Amino acid sequence: MQDKITKLFKAIADPTRRDIFHALVIATSALSITQISNQFEISRQGVTKHIKTLQEAGLVVIDAQGRERFCNANTKPLQEINKWLQFYSQFWDNSLQNLGNYLNSKT
Amino acid sequence: MNDVIKKEVTLNHSIDKVWNAISKAEEISTWFIQADFKAEKGYRYTFTSEPNEKGCTVISGEVKNANPYVLVYTWVVADTKVETTVCWELESTQNGTKLTLEHSGISNYGGETAVKMFESFNGGWDNCFNGLSGYLKEEVNAG
Repeated sequence: MQDKITKLFKAIADPTRRDIFHALVIATSALSITQISNQFEISRQGVTKHIKTLQEAGLVVIDAQGRERFCNANTKPLQEINKWLQFYSQFWDNSLQNLGNYLNSKT
Repeated sequence: MNDVIKKEVTLNHSIDKVWNAISKAEEISTWFIQADFKAEKGYRYTFTSEPNEKGCTVISGEVKNANPYVLVYTWVVADTKVETTVCWELESTQNGTKLTLEHSGISNYGGETAVKMFESFNGGWDNCFNGLSGYLKEEVNAG
């Protein structure tokens, strides 16, 4: 879980990547590298690099059609963040409960 | 969804008793987790969980602040590079001691905006966590 989180955070740490990801999420269909490049006024090369990072984090799935590559957003990995928060929220609740019990039992 | 976990409890005990419980290795080892710990700024501590079938989980980090009654240390699980921060703060009250715990830093990696952004376009996470309670139980037992 932690390894995945590291990749995920690296991917969404960059504002441009977040914007690209957001654009992919709200798009009704997959966007090609060209379309993303036009929309963000950054080079194809730049877009390709960002997409690769997003892909490594599992946030983007690429579908190659001929020479063009189409990008789909995948929001599932972000659930890892929520898992992390849920996990530690429960962890600290339990730990503080233990602390309370410990203090009560200590004379 | 918040990117900082914050817990507040009021303990019916003196502030020094609570402070010792959260800052002394032998006490931490009793109620929390096996600890090699000193409440000294710069001390590199190690928490070792109870062994289970996967072995032990080691949590390590550095004490950043340890002035009564504020204790701050970084929190790194095993050999992951995800460093978060745990902050304990105590305050005397009429009823005893108010303890505030904050576990933060997860947004250093993604940015609060990223987390919030996701929340804004995905409302239904609950279904994804049906299997989580069993997992949590296991993980919490593991430490």
